[in-house]
Amino acid sequence: MTTTFVDVDVRPTLRAGGEPFGEIMAAVNTLPPGHGMRLLATFKPVPLFSVLGSKGFMHEEREIGGGDWEVLFSPREAVSEATAPSVSAADDTDWPAPAREMDNRDLDPPEPMVRILAATEQMQPGEVLSALLCREPMFLLPELAKRGHSWRGGFDEDGSTYRIRILIGGAAESQQ
Amino acid sequence: MSGVTLSRWTMSYFAVALFCLMGALTLMGLGFGFPAADVSAPQTLLVVHLVGIGWLSLLMCGALFQFVPVLIARPLHSDSLPLTTLVCLVGGLVLLLCGFLHLSGWPGPPAVLPFGGMLLVAGFALALYNLGRTLWAARPLAMPARFVTVGLASLAATALLGFCFTLFFGGLSSSPLLVRITVRGLPLHVVAGLGGWLTFTAMGVSYRLLAMFMLAPEPDGPGTRAALWSGAAALTVIVVGGLVAIALRYEPEWALIAGGLLALGAVVLYGRDILRLYRARKRRVIELNSRMAGVALFHLAAGVMLALVLVGTGTLGRHVAPLVFLAAFGWLTGLGLAKLYKIVAFLTWLECYGPVLGKADTPRVQDLAVEGRAARWFWLYFAATDFAVLMLFAEAAGPVRLGAAAMLIAVGAIAYELLRIRRLADVPLTCRLPQGTSRPHLLVLLVPQA
Repeated sequence: MTTTFVDVDVRPTLRAGGEPFGEIMAAVNTLPPGHGMRLLATFKPVPLFSVLGSKGFMHEEREIGGGDWEVLFSPREAVSEATAPSVSAADDTDWPAPAREMDNRDLDPPEPMVRILAATEQMQPGEVLSALLCREPMFLLPELAKRGHSWRGGFDEDGSTYRIRILIGGAAESQQ
Repeated sequence: MSGVTLSRWTMSYFAVALFCLMGALTLMGLGFGFPAADVSAPQTLLVVHLVGIGWLSLLMCGALFQFVPVLIARPLHSDSLPLTTLVCLVGGLVLLLCGFLHLSGWPGPPAVLPFGGMLLVAGFALALYNLGRTLWAARPLAMPARFVTVGLASLAATALLGFCFTLFFGGLSSSPLLVRITVRGLPLHVVAGLGGWLTFTAMGVSYRLLAMFMLAPEPDGPGTRAALWSGAAALTVIVVGGLVAIALRYEPEWALIAGGLLALGAVVLYGRDILRLYRARKRRVIELNSRMAGVALFHLAAGVMLALVLVGTGTLGRHVAPLVFLAAFGWLTGLGLAKLYKIVAFLTWLECYGPVLGKADTPRVQDLAVEGRAARWFWLYFAATDFAVLMLFAEAAGPVRLGAAAMLIAVGAIAYELLRIRRLADVPLTCRLPQGTSRPHLLVLLVPQA
């Protein structure tokens, strides 16, 4: 199946010293189903790869000269509902504000995972837990899936902090 | 973004690998192979391949099936293929070792060597397919995964060169090119195996594991990229350039020298990255595995210095055995044992307690291991290794056997510590098996999927 791409050129914003993240996310949130995004930027936007990856997009990037980059974000066709329930969820606005926030960036692994799972056990279905980490929590995600929670996560723009938000019981709700 | 689950067969790889290491050290302790036999005698080749394939390659494959997915944040292509892979590799290794025994005068069919080579190529091809498909799906790759990719390409070169040798020694082919490759290509096989497959892959994985366990930023700058390209160029020059030289009836020495200089650049850049990583760590008091990895890295540096001295004095040919021994045992085995000590504890903890975290009182990862007890065995291991290296220089067969025996005792004790970790033997009884958990299987990781 060929994907139709919507062009988003953030080079003028970047050259004017502006911050294009909101512009990009707004474009992503208004993409019709099955459509992809062709992003043009003045640098390789590595942090976006994880952010949009968590929203179900694959990426393919290439340098197009003059230091500019073209990145094609296309929707992943077969995302497993069982292992990645969050990906099927809609945009960010449908989740409540976090009921609990944690900063786990300076903890030795696997302490961040231990604390997050302990917190999820104390919280009520429908509440959201927000946590900051220094790495993508690779071993935490399957455990969240097993416990029926949804999550959304990605690196901040500087690539040093991973922000995860967990909707307690979210996967169970979305299947009802 | 679905995360990473536990690799089912990784513990089996580790167990077979440790068994092979102890087998090789037992043979060395009994005086089998160099220096009692010639450095290229079948007995020596048997011990070398028991270490290179049985211990180091199985250890590396088992670790990669678990950690390549962590490096690239994607699941392994197939979680069932590693078992078939292991069967092929172990079967191939057994036949290969039988083939070496046959070369040393034991009775048996001569074709056992090429059949062993064929099974090993099949096993490594399965591993390369599984890891290659996993990596391919994750492009563009982060820096550690790029190192691993170069390492995997070197594994392919090592296995194919080795297979060529078995065709010749097994008497299946005597084409002039094959004879030339067998006579001249041994250094390429050794460099591709020890330098490309094992060292380069270990460098890549160490970037991520050391950064992760010491809370340090992962090196990803121009120096790291230069290390990657310099190392990849070194291996290409040595393996491809060397083979072209052999095919055109030139000596491959120029390729080894040019590649050696590029490799020196790669190791220096890697060393600079790792020093910065240790200095920039947020975790001031580091665990035993990171301390012992430091000792292994020191042995890598010592190996590079030693190689420079031997090349400079024109004595590399005479002292190649202690140099290879230092690389295989001081650097690669030292790092492997150090990381095993952490990895086995972490995977066991995750397998056993992951499902009940937050629901019951669970031990911490460090509660599974008793570092103080293990530390003395690690120090004995490194001391015995250094002693054996020195005695190999002197070609003093008796003291080398003594050194190997001491290494065997240390490795046996570390393996016993790993067994205790796997059996949760040092976890306080009050929180050893809370409700909802069960004692892990020794050789297979079992985690119910979502």
